[in-house]
Amino acid sequence: MIGHSEKAAQFLKDENRADWHDQTLWMVRQKRDRAAWSVPEWEDLREEASQIKNHALSNLDNYLLQFEEKVIGNGATIHWASDAQEFNDLILRIIQKNGAKKIVKSKSMLTEECGLNPFLEKNGLEVVDTDLGERIIQFRNEPPSHIVLPAIHLKKEEIGELFEEKLKTAKGNSDPQYLTAAARSHLREKFLAADVAITGVNFAIADTGTVVVCTNEGNADMGVHAAKIQIHCMGIEKIIPGTNELAVFTRMLARSATGQPITTYTSHYREPKAGGQMHVVIVDNGRSKLLGNETYRNSLKCIRCGACMNTCPVYRRSGGHSYNYVIPGPIGSILGPDSDINKFKDLPFVSTLCGSCTNVCPVKINIHDLLYDWRQEISEKKLLPLSKRYLMKITGIVLAHNTVYNLSGKVARWAIRNLSGELIYHRINVWGRERELPEVPRESFKQWYRKNTLERRSVNEQG
Amino acid sequence: MSRDNILKTIRQNKPEFTPLPKYLEVTDPKPRRELLEIFEKSLNQVGAEFIELSLNEEIDSYLSFHFPEVHQIGKNGFRDEYSANCSKEKLDQIDTIILEGHLGVAENGAIWLDDSDFPNRLVPFVAQMVIISLDSAKILSNMTEAYHKLNMAGTGFGVFISGPSKTADIEQSLVYGAHGPKSLLVVIY
Repeated sequence: MIGHSEKAAQFLKDENRADWHDQTLWMVRQKRDRAAWSVPEWEDLREEASQIKNHALSNLDNYLLQFEEKVIGNGATIHWASDAQEFNDLILRIIQKNGAKKIVKSKSMLTEECGLNPFLEKNGLEVVDTDLGERIIQFRNEPPSHIVLPAIHLKKEEIGELFEEKLKTAKGNSDPQYLTAAARSHLREKFLAADVAITGVNFAIADTGTVVVCTNEGNADMGVHAAKIQIHCMGIEKIIPGTNELAVFTRMLARSATGQPITTYTSHYREPKAGGQMHVVIVDNGRSKLLGNETYRNSLKCIRCGACMNTCPVYRRSGGHSYNYVIPGPIGSILGPDSDINKFKDLPFVSTLCGSCTNVCPVKINIHDLLYDWRQEISEKKLLPLSKRYLMKITGIVLAHNTVYNLSGKVARWAIRNLSGELIYHRINVWGRERELPEVPRESFKQWYRKNTLERRSVNEQG
Repeated sequence: MSRDNILKTIRQNKPEFTPLPKYLEVTDPKPRRELLEIFEKSLNQVGAEFIELSLNEEIDSYLSFHFPEVHQIGKNGFRDEYSANCSKEKLDQIDTIILEGHLGVAENGAIWLDDSDFPNRLVPFVAQMVIISLDSAKILSNMTEAYHKLNMAGTGFGVFISGPSKTADIEQSLVYGAHGPKSLLVVIY
């Protein structure tokens, strides 16, 4: 499989796009900062949110049971799925039992994780993603490149051409207002014709059996209220105790994600509509196992705001598709290896460990620490590529032995000064790619320090 | 059975019990005028328009004078017209609709509406334009205060609406009217 660095190199070939991507996400990060600073108690809220999630995870079984009881009492149906296969089968069964054919879906990373769309399509069903960004990438047969901004890797001209083909929009018109209007009328038809609406879940309230879904477009509500059958899909970790906790999260989610004070719609579904059906599907798919892992269980606190992506210098400059995993960026680089360590062993290294992700995380997940922990684990399990393993070994020797360290410094300084550019910037030196090596000093810091302290000492003694 | 297996694994794996945090005290209520100003600033920020009626203006006569053609849910039999069984095609024809908001939240311009405000849940989303009337005495400071006021256990469906439907999925350009209302007017009385 092609790793992150190769895919990132492809992404970076289009320099203008890469720059735009970088700057646009940084702009979103700055909007997040302004939104956070507008709330004086922001840091207290982060601490509360973190403790709420710790608490909910420490009492998860009881909250799930309480939630189940309430959901049933509300006249809705609850389902449990251990893994992706069971989840997909379960959804298919609900659809087939009702003789339904047309499905609309609002954003759900869980259904992406489980591969629900391709599964339903294989079974002869029409599934329409209704979030504009999701519809765009569905037309292109691509996964989302960001969990909140799924089509952030595309330029409007590409979307214009795509809509020209799919929605018969005017040739050469890539005005976002115009394209959005075209998608609006296309999707309205889909909403009105759908038999089943599927949504993800942002928060599940244990003490009332309510599921909360946040959107800006209103697509979850258009689907849910127009279709006879509504299905809400949630991971087990979405549970929170009650509305006191919901208040904390609704204050933080959109501010962290896009810098808005709240999403346009924060919808609370508790009972099915008159004559309708409401289903809630609780999915494990590896989460209960992750709960038992003391090191990485913190990653289950994630509320999928995407703030860690927007701030990450590596994500911004390599694009979400480079990560290969369903959730890209810093948090995905922790979740990916947990789902399949061999497949995603390069992801924990896709980080500078600068810690910016940890600083913006609304639930205080120590993201960069966990990435570091994964690195340790992956190298202990000897999963690093050979070149890196030997390099690490050699580096270990150099750093552990004084004379070797001094000598290698001397050799490096001499080499950069005296060897030809061709040799220094040879392709095997990856550090010489795309950058000039710095001018090297005559002496090492150690030599400089010794000389200077000795001089100062002698001056002091004379004085 | 999956349910029991999942619960069993959770029981084995869950961390040691930790309590809920102590929440910040709800601060002294801000004066009404100040809350209203923050609320209006938030409405601006989220792309909603608003009108603030003067003290001697009466909301019903204001709405019927300025929007004589517009259906006011809960008034003049429109509750029956857009009932729970109303066809989607008919709902799709709604141009503008007037709804009464339950409460407003100053910090984010969100307004709460629920099943008691519309007989058919699709109404506030399917309309091309939504007008919400809101009593200025019902504006609260933040989400914590708002949820204290609401009875979630008695709400089949409820929603906080903050501005018109919007998207920025094409190159982060903000466009109103992604699927739902292209504009939202809040009439504060």
